Amino acid sequence: MNIEIQHINRSRILAVIVVLVAVAFSMRLFYLQVVQHDHYTALANQEQVKRLTIPAKRGLIYGLDGSTPVPLVMNQTVFTIFADPQMVANPEKIEKTLKRVAGGNLRNDIDELLLKKDTRYQILATEVSRDQADMIKKEGLSGIGFQETSQRVYPEGRLGSQVLGFVDYEGTGRYGVEGGLQEELSGDDGLLQSVTDISAVPLNIGDQNINQPAKDGEDVVITIDRAVQARAEQALADGLERSGADSASAIVMDPQTGRVMAMANLPDYEPAEFNKVKDAALFNNSTISLPYEQGSNVKIFTFAMGLDKGTIRPDSTYLNTDSVRIEDRVISNYVKGQTGRITFQTALNWSLNTGAVAVLQSMDSDGEITKSVRQTTYDYFYNKFRLGQPTGIELAGEVGGRIISPERVEGNAVRYSNMSFGQGMDITMIQSAAAFSALVNDGEYRQPTVIAGKIEGGEFKEAETSSPERMALKSTSSDIKKMMENGRQVYSYLDKQGYKIGGKTGTAEVAVNGRYSGEESVGTYIGYGGDDEPKYVIMVRIAADGKHMQGSGDAVPIFTELSNWMIDYLKLQPKG
Amino acid sequence: MNYQSNQQYVSRRRQNWSRNQNTVAYTSAIKLGPVAHMVLVALMIAVLGLIYLTQATRTTGYDYAAQQIEQDIAELNTQKTDLEIENARLTALETIKSSSVASSMTTPEDVQYAQ
Repeated sequence: MNIEIQHINRSRILAVIVVLVAVAFSMRLFYLQVVQHDHYTALANQEQVKRLTIPAKRGLIYGLDGSTPVPLVMNQTVFTIFADPQMVANPEKIEKTLKRVAGGNLRNDIDELLLKKDTRYQILATEVSRDQADMIKKEGLSGIGFQETSQRVYPEGRLGSQVLGFVDYEGTGRYGVEGGLQEELSGDDGLLQSVTDISAVPLNIGDQNINQPAKDGEDVVITIDRAVQARAEQALADGLERSGADSASAIVMDPQTGRVMAMANLPDYEPAEFNKVKDAALFNNSTISLPYEQGSNVKIFTFAMGLDKGTIRPDSTYLNTDSVRIEDRVISNYVKGQTGRITFQTALNWSLNTGAVAVLQSMDSDGEITKSVRQTTYDYFYNKFRLGQPTGIELAGEVGGRIISPERVEGNAVRYSNMSFGQGMDITMIQSAAAFSALVNDGEYRQPTVIAGKIEGGEFKEAETSSPERMALKSTSSDIKKMMENGRQVYSYLDKQGYKIGGKTGTAEVAVNGRYSGEESVGTYIGYGGDDEPKYVIMVRIAADGKHMQGSGDAVPIFTELSNWMIDYLKLQPKG
Repeated sequence: MNYQSNQQYVSRRRQNWSRNQNTVAYTSAIKLGPVAHMVLVALMIAVLGLIYLTQATRTTGYDYAAQQIEQDIAELNTQKTDLEIENARLTALETIKSSSVASSMTTPEDVQYAQ
């Protein structure tokens, strides 16, 4: 009986111990699994779950070759070769192999880098091609790693570099199309969250997996025609050599659509080596970012205003005395001798400043440049012709310029007299080219654009052209074209015969510290050409530090070279 | 003294059912105690666990295969891109200009236009 009692007691004791242990285990498990759930889940996720960014592929940039898209900017996979000096077994072999295969991409001091045993990461070579990387991989070098990166490549070299811009080391587009269309080109990175194995291979197990694919950037087709761009750059290079100038720019536009066929600037740079450029000014596309006093080509806008207001006709006259007094200033003609009662056509042909001032005077019954006249001029220049303000072209770095309102003290009669022949106002080439295109396109303004469309699913989807906006009367367009064609007669021997070609020179002194030194001037020419109707507008600017560049002697030859080539390129037929 | 009855307890409900349906109920001669039940349950859980592990491993195996295929696709895409770049370089204006075909071209002396 005692034995049985003892047996029961021991069993109970054992049972109690087991229960106590079980309770202790349960409590511990409860603590770990319930109370500390979030903590341990986070630790486990940190260990097992990887969040990987799926980089979006940056969109390509295509130009045009006629109407066919051709790649101007592409993406190429290149490799950065790095070393873990602590894992390097044979530095001599590594150095020898890398020099043999990728000598041009190596850092100078790789022998020293390989011996830095207190470090774990040293970059030995950058921008190594896939073929080179494969050759190095075959050598089985220990302590060497390969990091894959994507870089922009430019099959056409430096063609249109300032229009294209570049992508910096953070992957952000700078300048040009790259900067202007950063959002469209960059796309959106994707996200891959997954349980991974020890080699970081994503596994399907787990309930927190996220697979959000990257949205690649759009492949954009720009209106820049590579043949026109190349020819424009060649014409500028010829012009620089001929004139001994420092810089030159040109725009070629289709006046009927507002599409920019070429935007050339010299000097330029190699976009693939943007990091080697010492003067950041080279990145600027002067046609959109350099407002300047353009000089007499602005007379086209002044005369167009007079024609549009109906205060002048090409054959109506004014009295030219080679100078005119406006308040306390005397404005003189550069070319003298055409005195007497002359037509506005003659004034345009000889580029007489008095003629441009006379247009303003014609808008007042007393021949004064009153505030009302100035307000009308401002309305035409700023609101209708859209000079002095950004055009909205899809390129980074466009600036507005400066047209002084008559409401301001500086917007006086002297200022507006000067503005009538292109001084006292700063405007960009794209503004002039766009307004000029409207004047020769029946008075219809088209927003200047560099967007031709997109590549979607391998197909070129053309963008719609912007809606035309009435800027001037059709009769104004017709009259001003006749006046410009008449004015062009002096250069007609240079032109291909049988085509309608017109334009206007501009030579403007450069103001230094607010004063005209008289030692430097910028030459400009803006003109158009076509058969029955204008098919292209070309604007040229040429400049040199401390030198006089003339619209007639320096800019006209560039226009002519390009204009004659455009006639052939567009296969225009002569109309007699 | 050991006494063991051959009779088994049959519930009234079962008796009624047997009587009504004219069927025979068999009783297994193998008796399983609570320990055996626990072992069986443990075995079943182990088998289910093995099945789960097998399936999970198989899925993981697919992951590796999928990863390999994705790598192959990426590799082929890269090669395609490299070829496209090479093609673009070979058809670039500068390349065309310096080609033997371009250098042998001449400017026509006379041009006639078809009306």
